[in-house]
Amino acid sequence: MLLAQAAGAGLSRGFNRVLEAVVRIDVREIEFADGAKRFSGGIGSGVIISEDGLILTNAHVVSPQAVEVSVTLANLERVGAVLVGWDHWTDLALLRLDTVALKARGLTFAAASFGDSAELYAGQTVYAVGTPHGLTRTVTRGIISNNDRYFEDSGGVNGYETGAFNTWLQTDAAINPGNSGGPLVTEDGKVIGINSRAYIGAENLGFAIPANVARRVAAALVKDGAITRSYIGLVPGVLQDLERFYALASNTGMLINRVDPGSPAAKAGLRAGDVLLTLDGRKVDGRFPEQLPPIQQAIASLPVGAKAALEVKRGAQTVAFTVQTEKLESRVGEEWAFEKWGLSVRKVTRAFARENQLLDASGVIVLGAQPGYPAAESGLARGDIITKVGSEPITELAKLKNVYEAYEAKPEPQLVEAQRNRRISLYVIKP
Amino acid sequence: MRIFRRPFLCAFLLAVAAAAAPLPELFNDRLKSVVAVEFFVQAEIERQPVTVMGTVVDTQGTIILPSAAILPGIPPAQLKDFKVYRPGSTESFNAAYLGQDPFTGWHFLRVEERLRSSLVPITQYPAITGDPALSDELWGIGLRNRDEDFTPYFLSSRVATVMKLPQKTAILGAEVASPGLPVFNAAGQFAGLAQTSFGQNFLIFSRNQHGNPILLINVEESSVVLLADEVLPNLGRVPQSVTGRPIAWFGAYGLQPMDPEVAKLLKLENQSGVVLSDIMDGSPAAQAGLRERDIVFAVDGQPLPRLKPDRVVVGYFGQQILKHRPGDTLALAILRGTERQEIKVKLGDEPKLAREADRHYLERLGFTVREFLYGDGIMHRAMTTEQKGVMVQFVKPGSAVATAGLRPDDWVKDIDGEEIKTYAQALAKLSAIEADVKRPEMVLLVSRGGETAVLRIKLI
Repeated sequence: MLLAQAAGAGLSRGFNRVLEAVVRIDVREIEFADGAKRFSGGIGSGVIISEDGLILTNAHVVSPQAVEVSVTLANLERVGAVLVGWDHWTDLALLRLDTVALKARGLTFAAASFGDSAELYAGQTVYAVGTPHGLTRTVTRGIISNNDRYFEDSGGVNGYETGAFNTWLQTDAAINPGNSGGPLVTEDGKVIGINSRAYIGAENLGFAIPANVARRVAAALVKDGAITRSYIGLVPGVLQDLERFYALASNTGMLINRVDPGSPAAKAGLRAGDVLLTLDGRKVDGRFPEQLPPIQQAIASLPVGAKAALEVKRGAQTVAFTVQTEKLESRVGEEWAFEKWGLSVRKVTRAFARENQLLDASGVIVLGAQPGYPAAESGLARGDIITKVGSEPITELAKLKNVYEAYEAKPEPQLVEAQRNRRISLYVIKP
Repeated sequence: MRIFRRPFLCAFLLAVAAAAAPLPELFNDRLKSVVAVEFFVQAEIERQPVTVMGTVVDTQGTIILPSAAILPGIPPAQLKDFKVYRPGSTESFNAAYLGQDPFTGWHFLRVEERLRSSLVPITQYPAITGDPALSDELWGIGLRNRDEDFTPYFLSSRVATVMKLPQKTAILGAEVASPGLPVFNAAGQFAGLAQTSFGQNFLIFSRNQHGNPILLINVEESSVVLLADEVLPNLGRVPQSVTGRPIAWFGAYGLQPMDPEVAKLLKLENQSGVVLSDIMDGSPAAQAGLRERDIVFAVDGQPLPRLKPDRVVVGYFGQQILKHRPGDTLALAILRGTERQEIKVKLGDEPKLAREADRHYLERLGFTVREFLYGDGIMHRAMTTEQKGVMVQFVKPGSAVATAGLRPDDWVKDIDGEEIKTYAQALAKLSAIEADVKRPEMVLLVSRGGETAVLRIKLI
């Protein structure tokens, strides 16, 4: 009884500090679905991590499409904030509080400090703090269920890819929608993770980005506003149980399940079924799924445009390849709406083109066509890829913007060429 | 007075002859041109019995079945035990499968000699001339299933409209015959052949849902009739081989129709066109110099008609090709950008079809391997140079390969780390694996939807 009280007292000191640093985030963001420009609102959580007002939250809470970010401090005062940078791959975003407004209104706040997420063990007590379902300043308690959980989700952050470069903390502390971006903390109030997702419908299966990943990403976002990663086009598979087939020593190699067509690895001659043995001379061990993110991270952290030496086992042979990295891109490109046409679009990216076996990355994808507006009336529909208007090839989004401007100045029927499953169709957008 | 009366009597008799026999009489007579057909499809581990209706087309015992009677891709060798029944009878007669005509899609059968004398080909009845008029009453024959001895019954309805789809087709207000069976007018003249019916929209109401739309197709009766003009000239198209060959090949895929707005903008008023999308390298279309985005607006000097709905023109263009034979030349008028051109295409021979492909069922491994076809290359958007490997045609549920995640339509590229270049090579390798009962595993590299994966299959 006495012991429990002593522990409780210790907990409350560290805890009060971290509670002062947790904020509620209200976001208004622009959406380009259904052929129109629309605004939607959302609620998330965040944690202040520096004396100059930097806030860590999730990339799926605040994205570059946010037009208004309002932060509710621990003292329930509201202040504006701006996006410093985001990284959907780790589901992290960094905000900065409006310090001018803070000063003018004489408001203060506390900053939380990080713990070492590598020291966590399964069974350790942790607390999640945040705004589940809009319930400001909610604390839930649980344990670390697993400190090295692997999952990758190709559309996990509002359609953006996530999870390839880090493992996650799993906890049974209740995490609900709105907890996103809030901290997972230890009993002494150290932030050891950023709560990010949960299995909806399951009981207490929540996931957080480890603090050690969050610290590194936050530092890079402060510096550059974005994280640049390298890409070579390998999709890994686990080697588990296949070592004997490939005649490999145990704990060696990563299976290549797919090579993206047209990627640097494909150009260099790598093939699905090859086993990656070394990367720039360092041994690779991808026996289990949990071991894949560090390998992916090693590839991603190569400088863009650098030449990487890959040693690969193919059949009985060991073959050396040199692969020149390129910049990693998301499958999701820039979005826009042409309101008089009732048409919203997204730029085709190299990643999207490779995934969908398109010949190149030119064109824009139709996200939506509003019923009754010229685009929908012409027959254009979600999923069509617009490649040409009149005689103008739409290689970039800017080209379509130019065509649209000309149309606004002088509305005339436009002949639109679009593809779907590589089938080319023609449409006429009429005023 | 007598002299006066005789002509009057003659006129009266003539009138009786022109007014047809009563419908029940006509119905019983026309039953001689229809049959029920049973057969089964012998797949790897199961048999699927099929019952369809057919129409007799000549005195040689030739019977046509609708295109939908047999799914495309089923090899003729898997079609077994064709049996023909007369309406209302349980006595069966053997028949041989002759193949599918590529132009009409009809499957042809020939029934054994002893039944032939009791059959009357549809060509021996008078046929209507011209199109049936709106609101004309037509009637046809429906046949029940085997458990009711294929009992015939009478159906009738009125013509709602006649459309070009692209063949002239009458749509009736209600079901008028079993698909594949003939339809007649009140005088007993042959009016056309009932096709597979169209889907109809219904709403389903349940406790939780207010009116969920669903599409239903009546497979036993049809209200869609291909008119006699489109049927009679083609009844002689008995396939020369069970594969349906020769089949003319153009070699452009993903043809898209042009809507009237686009036609207007391109100054092709009151006519239509098809946009060529996927021109396969080495195909007749490619050899003739056709390119993706070319718009074909006339074939052999005939402008492509404006048909409704827009997509019907694609079917029309396809028929213009299939009307020809390999080696024939097709003159196409095309629009490339804003420039009009004339291009002559020498049609080739359709590449091997799925129903003709070599295949082998590996019973112990639990899957069927099939040679990689030109059509697979189109599906997988593979260049002709990349068309190696073999396809998985069937996977036995619960087998080792199924457990490992192999699925039908997977494209096998490597077997045990060896790149597969030919079907023979794959079959030799797989047969050796199948025969080696002590082998613990095999490893396949498969491609599915553009993604590849390495599958490890534990065999014991």
